Amino acid sequence: MDLARSHLLGAQDADGGWGANSSGGPSATEPTSLAVMALRGADDPEASRAADRGLVWLRERQRSDGSWPVSDQVPMGCWMTSLAALALAGSPIDRSRAGAGARWLLEQEGRPVPWMSRLFFFLFPRYDVIDLDLELKGWSWFENTFGWVEPTAYALIALKTLRADLPQSQTRSRIEEGERMLVDRVCEGGGWNYGNSRVYDEELWPYPDTTALALLALQDRPGLPEVRSSLDVLDRMVARNESLLATSLALLCGRVYGRPVQALSRRIGEHLESDSRWIDVRAVALASLALREGAVPLYFRNA
Amino acid sequence: MLDRREFLKAAAGAAVLAGLPGCGRDEERWQPSAFAKHASSRTAVIHVNGYERGIAEAVRRGVELFDLPVRGRRVVLKPNFVEFDPQGVINTHPAVVAAAIEVFRALDADVVVAEGPGHRRDNEYLLTATGIGNVLQDTGTSFVDLNNDAVRRVPLRSGYTGMKALYLPETVMSADLFVSLPKMKTHHWAGVTLSMKNLFGIVPGSIYGWPKNPLHWAGIRESILDINAALPMPRFNIVDGIVGMEGNGPIQGEPVPSGVLVFGEDPVAVDATCARLMDIDPEKVSYLKEAGRFLGNLETERIVTMGEDPDRYRRDYRVLSQFTRIKANSRATAG
Repeated sequence: MDLARSHLLGAQDADGGWGANSSGGPSATEPTSLAVMALRGADDPEASRAADRGLVWLRERQRSDGSWPVSDQVPMGCWMTSLAALALAGSPIDRSRAGAGARWLLEQEGRPVPWMSRLFFFLFPRYDVIDLDLELKGWSWFENTFGWVEPTAYALIALKTLRADLPQSQTRSRIEEGERMLVDRVCEGGGWNYGNSRVYDEELWPYPDTTALALLALQDRPGLPEVRSSLDVLDRMVARNESLLATSLALLCGRVYGRPVQALSRRIGEHLESDSRWIDVRAVALASLALREGAVPLYFRNA
Repeated sequence: MLDRREFLKAAAGAAVLAGLPGCGRDEERWQPSAFAKHASSRTAVIHVNGYERGIAEAVRRGVELFDLPVRGRRVVLKPNFVEFDPQGVINTHPAVVAAAIEVFRALDADVVVAEGPGHRRDNEYLLTATGIGNVLQDTGTSFVDLNNDAVRRVPLRSGYTGMKALYLPETVMSADLFVSLPKMKTHHWAGVTLSMKNLFGIVPGSIYGWPKNPLHWAGIRESILDINAALPMPRFNIVDGIVGMEGNGPIQGEPVPSGVLVFGEDPVAVDATCARLMDIDPEKVSYLKEAGRFLGNLETERIVTMGEDPDRYRRDYRVLSQFTRIKANSRATAG
């Protein structure tokens, strides 16, 4: 835990935000939100001060429509709004800001397929190459594009966390649709790719990070068969992929689903000590959250 | 009769539509003043037996044919690593990346390796599993994650996607020489993926997502053209065709030992040469044909090939049935 924290403290930019890479780079909403979540609540004044500076960075970047941009360089509202809303949701004075972000999410959805394309594929079914229910839109990476697993998972976590502050009927409807979208896109045998489960009759491979995020989004649906099979798939994938990102997300899932976690926890500790060149702020922040016993901002069961 | 679900899922290939060979009919969609095609282009085909030995010598031989002014300049090497399969040949082989680093360093260039994987967000895993990370560590070479690099808004100089501008990484835009270092592969949306398609990896995922979906919406063919036309800096290309991929590329295809590295400054000429080595007609690959109108040379008579005789290394790469039309002999070799 201390190693992760000191890594994050060392990576904070002068403007109070965090860039994706541990060695610096322009501050961005995703790494800043995750670092704030990881450092808030730590019994460490230095970490608290760093988190507060990160919160200021986030407050100052919220757009008038409630969304957050990728960074100062890219001003449009985007998928990272879910993470910023989650980071602010834990701060009582920022709850209304988080709610505004969540309300923006309620209005976003993946772009439907144009009728011209539908007609083309109706006339030429040999180009029917994927297996998706396209009526399920979920959430996209940014406006006016197709919905994918990761932004949908983050949006579900944010909406489920903040649902008490949101219009009930609309929120319930979007959450149900998002859950159906995740279930529709599960890979054969379990787990999630980025969005498709099959292309050209070939099964696509599930990935540990997308699988873990989808499972976190469905943590209140432990009885779904797709969830049970995906937990087993995640265990198998993480046995082969020892990256900090995969291990941390698997540990977060393991804790919330009551799975054995000691080995994953030990592996994260060893990983942080090894000082790998390739770990980034996102992975370290998730490691810090995963090593925390008890409630973390990505757990909404009791929200 | 398709039911509604079947009908809609077929429609999902909206992304594919624009990328299908032969679907596009374009007037001039580029700024004529921004592009000046040379009367001819040079490429080089250098034979290499395998990845075990002789790669650095082959890369040196190929690069030296072009007299690149890189002394003291910043050279950005952009390999293709998008996914890992221990049984597959998805990525530019680490030995080729290592050789390129060695050769450009020997020319006193300041070398950086940069990539923005389009299928995975876990760089630590990809770098470790592919072996590229070891190469970077052993050679002390910096790596830039193009998915999260600082960006600048780059106005497009061609108008295929309908986008006005793209956010592109500072590392790429500030390069003195940009080297595309792809794998020679078939591609299940675009037909082939070579030097030009490899540039999807410079588009930042943090902005455009994983996979880089707005490019699919805008059309893969159109995006390849606009991205390639957007780069103003000198370019070089080294295609890893020592073992290429056929069938359902770029991820799930099968290996083809072709035994070549292909070099050149003109990405269109390099990709056309590679396509011919794959027994694919570049004039039947929609984006290559269009690129041949303004970005570089496509026709055999406008390409001077140095090194080995390409005909000795021509292999019959299988393509999916949807792409049989791009084969040079147009016979079905579906994979």
